[in-house]
Amino acid sequence: MKLRQDLVLRKVGDDYIMVDPSQGMVDLSKVHTLNETAAWLWEQLSGKEFDGDDVADLLCDRYDVTHHQANLDAIALLEEFEKAGLLEA
Amino acid sequence: MEANTVLELTNHYYEIAGLQLELRFPSALNLDHILPSFVGFRVEHSNKTSAAVVTFREEEVPSEEEWGTLRSDISLVWGDNFRFYEQKDAFVTLIKHKIKDKQWMMKSTKDFRESRIYGKADDLRMGEFVSWLLMVVFGQVGLQHRLILIHASVIAYQQKQGVAFLGKSGTGKSTHSRLWLQHIPDTELLNDDNPVVRLEEDGRAIIYGTPWSGKTPCYKNKCVELKGFVRLEQAPLNRFTWKKGMESLVAVLPSCTALRWNKDLFNAMTDTLSQLVEQVNVGYLECLPDADAARTSHNAFFEEKVETGL
Repeated sequence: MKLRQDLVLRKVGDDYIMVDPSQGMVDLSKVHTLNETAAWLWEQLSGKEFDGDDVADLLCDRYDVTHHQANLDAIALLEEFEKAGLLEA
Repeated sequence: MEANTVLELTNHYYEIAGLQLELRFPSALNLDHILPSFVGFRVEHSNKTSAAVVTFREEEVPSEEEWGTLRSDISLVWGDNFRFYEQKDAFVTLIKHKIKDKQWMMKSTKDFRESRIYGKADDLRMGEFVSWLLMVVFGQVGLQHRLILIHASVIAYQQKQGVAFLGKSGTGKSTHSRLWLQHIPDTELLNDDNPVVRLEEDGRAIIYGTPWSGKTPCYKNKCVELKGFVRLEQAPLNRFTWKKGMESLVAVLPSCTALRWNKDLFNAMTDTLSQLVEQVNVGYLECLPDADAARTSHNAFFEEKVETGL
């Protein structure tokens, strides 16, 4: 899978955000907020083809977590990304 | 025979929020008469480069097949009597009318630096339509110069600081400005509908009057430093809350205008806006249409110690 490349991650105050212009007829943009870990992962994964294992590996490298926990977190995060429409179709 | 139809064009120059807008219109037309709200923004031609050039020739509006892909016929900011279309190298803005002869159309390059307006000069609403099309052009071109055209009513306090009131149509932006004029001394209306905010190189935010001001004829060619934004919402009480970070951006974003199908323009807007909300104060006011509401927002900005959000 791949992250949507048209979204730009920005820091506003203490928040990491991405503004997603709606492509429908109505002018209602969405704003996604990411926590620090998700924002860091977004930067690492940006432009790359990756899977859940890659995300878990990244988490293990950066944080003091078991591989099992990292796997669970990676799956949960990717589900969130999928639901929010942040992955390339 | 064709030579007879070639009409001479005259160049007119305007400066709005520091950007030069150049109009090339048939010499026979009296532009000050057609666009009275622009008179105060006229400049003699400087050697400055025009940020946008708009040409009008009285010509048939090209037929429907040539408009392109329909992108929008609804907008919270622009109203609903128009449509945007996209072509490979152009955007088309159409002002709809049941009678084909009364339609107006504008074809613009994708960065809106060059546009051409099609319509009939004997249309009584020409001025209104051309002014509106120029607002579309200016809004999009401005984004490329760290300017954002916003939907707001804005007051200038003590001749030097501006506060912009935001909200959906009918929320009472104009009413809130009027309450300031009535109850807060040394207050002036700068613009009632479409001011422009400019983020200067040194990081200061400046708010400018424009030739567009909704139903209120308030076309002031002046500017003040922008102190902040207040999003208004009708409520059974008056309560003011400061917004930070993501929430401050969300409070201002719906009042900004960028054609969202053009990624470059949309990103330019979001970039400028992200920096802007860190420079100025952003608040949210639940309010009644009364004097106390004006005092509440006035106190928040000018009486309390305001955190800068930095």
